[in-house]
Amino acid sequence: MSSKNVLLKNVVKIYKGQGKKDVVAVNNVSLEIKAGEFVTLLGPSGCGKTTLLRIIAGFETPTGGEVYIGGENVTQITPDRRDTAMVFQSYALFPHLTVYENVAYGLRVKKQSESRIRQSVAEMLELVGLTGMESRYPNQLSGGQQQRVALARSIVMRPSVLLFDEPLSNLDAKLRVHMRGEIRRLQRQVGITGIYVTHDQAEAMSMSDRIIVMNNGVVEQSGTPQEIYLTPASEFVADFIGMANLVDAVVAEAGEGQGIIDLLGAKFRISSRGDLRSGEKVRVVIRPEAVALAGDGGIPAVVETSVYMGSSQDYRVRIDGQTISVVAYNPDESFREGDRVYLRIDERKLHVVRK
Amino acid sequence: MQAVRRDPVLAGTIAIVIVSLLLFIVWPIYAVLKESFISQQGLFTLDYYREAFRQSENVRVLVNTLWIGLFVSLFSTAIGFLFAYADAYLKIRFKSIFNILAILPIISPPFALSMSFIMLFGQRGFITYHLLGIKDANVYGFAGLAAVQILTFFPIAYLVLAGLLRQIDPSYEEAAQNMGASRWRIFRTVTLPLVVPGIANSFLLVFIQTVADFGNAMVIGGNYTTLAAKIYLQAMGNYDVKGGTALATILLSISVIMFVMQKYWVGEKSYVTVTGKPSRERQLISDGKVVWPVGLACFFISAFILLLYILIPYGSVVNLWGIDFTPTLKHYEYVFSLGLKPIIDTTYLSLLSMPITGILSMIIAFLIVRKKFFGRSMVEFTSMLSMAVPGTVIGMGYILAYNGPPLVLTGTATIIVFSFIFRNMPVGIRAGVASLRQIDPAIEEAAQDLGASSYKVFTSVTIPLIKSAFFSGLVYSFVRSMTAVSAVIFLVSASYNLLTVAIMGQVDVGRIGVAAAYSTILIIIVLAVTGALKLILGRMGIAVADM
Ligand SMILES: Nc1ncnc2c1ncn2[C@@H]1O[C@H](COP(=O)(O)OP(=O)(O)O)[C@@H](O)[C@H]1O
Ligand SMILES: [Mg+2]
Repeated sequence: MSSKNVLLKNVVKIYKGQGKKDVVAVNNVSLEIKAGEFVTLLGPSGCGKTTLLRIIAGFETPTGGEVYIGGENVTQITPDRRDTAMVFQSYALFPHLTVYENVAYGLRVKKQSESRIRQSVAEMLELVGLTGMESRYPNQLSGGQQQRVALARSIVMRPSVLLFDEPLSNLDAKLRVHMRGEIRRLQRQVGITGIYVTHDQAEAMSMSDRIIVMNNGVVEQSGTPQEIYLTPASEFVADFIGMANLVDAVVAEAGEGQGIIDLLGAKFRISSRGDLRSGEKVRVVIRPEAVALAGDGGIPAVVETSVYMGSSQDYRVRIDGQTISVVAYNPDESFREGDRVYLRIDERKLHVVRK
Repeated sequence: MQAVRRDPVLAGTIAIVIVSLLLFIVWPIYAVLKESFISQQGLFTLDYYREAFRQSENVRVLVNTLWIGLFVSLFSTAIGFLFAYADAYLKIRFKSIFNILAILPIISPPFALSMSFIMLFGQRGFITYHLLGIKDANVYGFAGLAAVQILTFFPIAYLVLAGLLRQIDPSYEEAAQNMGASRWRIFRTVTLPLVVPGIANSFLLVFIQTVADFGNAMVIGGNYTTLAAKIYLQAMGNYDVKGGTALATILLSISVIMFVMQKYWVGEKSYVTVTGKPSRERQLISDGKVVWPVGLACFFISAFILLLYILIPYGSVVNLWGIDFTPTLKHYEYVFSLGLKPIIDTTYLSLLSMPITGILSMIIAFLIVRKKFFGRSMVEFTSMLSMAVPGTVIGMGYILAYNGPPLVLTGTATIIVFSFIFRNMPVGIRAGVASLRQIDPAIEEAAQDLGASSYKVFTSVTIPLIKSAFFSGLVYSFVRSMTAVSAVIFLVSASYNLLTVAIMGQVDVGRIGVAAAYSTILIIIVLAVTGALKLILGRMGIAVADM
């Protein structure tokens, strides 16, 4: 199998609004996805993920910029002649064809021999666990089975790049979690480059080699799930991925790649990617699990709410007019609303973002 | 989506569609306009209009046209509403007849009811002469024409309004009932307001049909001349083509205004469709105080119409209508002695244009719904417009446009086929558009994504998904071709005559029996061909919607 890399250069997509304002759906995006990599495009609804994916597939022509697949400029090439295959949100199975014919469709278009088609389809159906379903029609399948047919139909083409547009959003929660693993297994097994669009951060975190966070048509950050979570590049990313307290702080002492900040009336030593300047105002990301509550010794606060969540106790505590979320896993003791508590913040887990 | 530029097959198809619409819809209309505004010397002039209106007769014709349009549309909409209400709301047993009533005008010659009326109320009418003994009954004129048109066109209103009433969610009315409103009050304050746009819509649709109605106006209009008939008489009877085009332009303006109002003003205003499908079935009203009067009215109208249609085959097998009712086959013998040419020609040309119409309308529907390209709204407007352009106007346009280079088609079969195609396309397009809108566009994208070219996508995915609309369009276009008269009457020639035109000729010379025999043959061919098509398609597992 030859998986290929995908390269976007300054891609812009503007939808002409009829009478209304034009929409800049993708705003000057440049990025590279390496061959064999599994990347998710993550962002809130309307941020341009689908548009970007459809530009890679060829359904939309970018208003500006170029698309390269495996080094070849495909910007002006129609989807039928691109080496990509897409799994649609609605599955888009052919309702008038059986499972077998759905999976065979692309191979038939390619004019492969009947015996080869039979073999490939059988292998593929086996791979997705649908052997025996060949003669059913899509409306005779459950949502999860339809999803597998859609996957099979795309993968059987042995494309160089597989594209997914929120493929799991029509499944119930349990199946969704299961299919994450399935898709990743299939993608690894056949070794195809995968680009996966989702607005669900848990999906992105659990599946991706790399996450590309988008907002308002631009790329906010690109990195491994750990990088995105631990060192968000912007307030938007910090806020969008997981729970985050964003708190103002002032740099008390600046050093090379590190410094001391004044946060909630206490001093913390932190590391920073960029250089800090003394007296600079910054925002600090405090993840709820980076804070522990104690009966004494720390930053004083008052418990506002305390909710038992089973595996954790979730608090909101109040310090000088600011509210901070704290999550305590396996707590030794729990606090009740109105209790006076002390915060202990793990300074290794603090992360500074510029305003 | 700028995909069109990158896809030569698609771009080529769009170009062909645009060119053919320009050539066979826009150009003939332009030819009419041009002829009416340009003098023999090639200068712009309004003389032909001035001339037309100097004749007080033509002013009367215009007033006649508008007045009968208004009258017929009002009554048709009212009767249509009555039937629609009975259909959607009342517990009545003979509803299945309603569908037959809606189909009959489509599968018979457009002036069939005029013939029946003459048989019933004419000088030798069964009722007027035979039963009542009136010696000089005159069925020709406003009353006869209006009655025939109402009975021919009210099914249009019925279909529009029944569709709308069935979509009303019963919970609206139940909510009103729950608040203590009486049945009449609910009807007045809930049901009626919900269908006001539909009422306006059917009024305009019937109006367009009425003012364009050529066959009935010619057969039973008598001295009550309308524009549609006058255009033909002026151009073909008086050889005053210029005067004819001036009148044609006026008729065209009326129709186009109504069409634009219908499509862009009324068409957008539906409260009912916003709410989507009703949540469950309506509890039908069985209260005798409502069911009896409405049911009886519908019953009598239905029975009367059925009787009128039955008169046609019956009239074809009696010796001399009104005088001597002994059974005979002599009218058929006469028809066969004249030769089968019009029968064969009509059937052949209708069959020939059928697949072309069907495929072209699906392609246009596909382009309208799925593709964005320069000229898309023009394609949509023009192709639907041809439904509103009166047949007499288009017929006149065809002889003017294709009388000289670059396209000389006068007197050929080709010109007839083209007129069939472009006049019958809108129905197929509408069916195609409606069924494409129900289909997730991602399905076609998936096919393209798997390597299918746009041609392959269309044939292997789009057409199979909308095949029901496609075949309904086929059947319908065949039927419409068989029964068309207003446009083709300008286009027939010594070498190609058509059934409907032959029938009109026979009515004109008073051979009602022969006309009835021809009409019966026409109806039999229509039923046989559509029946065979439905049977074959049914075997293939394709359901064809009723027309
Ligand atoms: N065909 C279109 N025409 C006009 N605007 C569009 C079209 N498709 C998407 N948009 C707009 O572009 C923006 C990005 O849309 P999309 O790529 O679908 O976002 P996402 O997939 O991230 O939810 C949105 O504001 C959307 O309304
Ligand atoms: Mg999307």
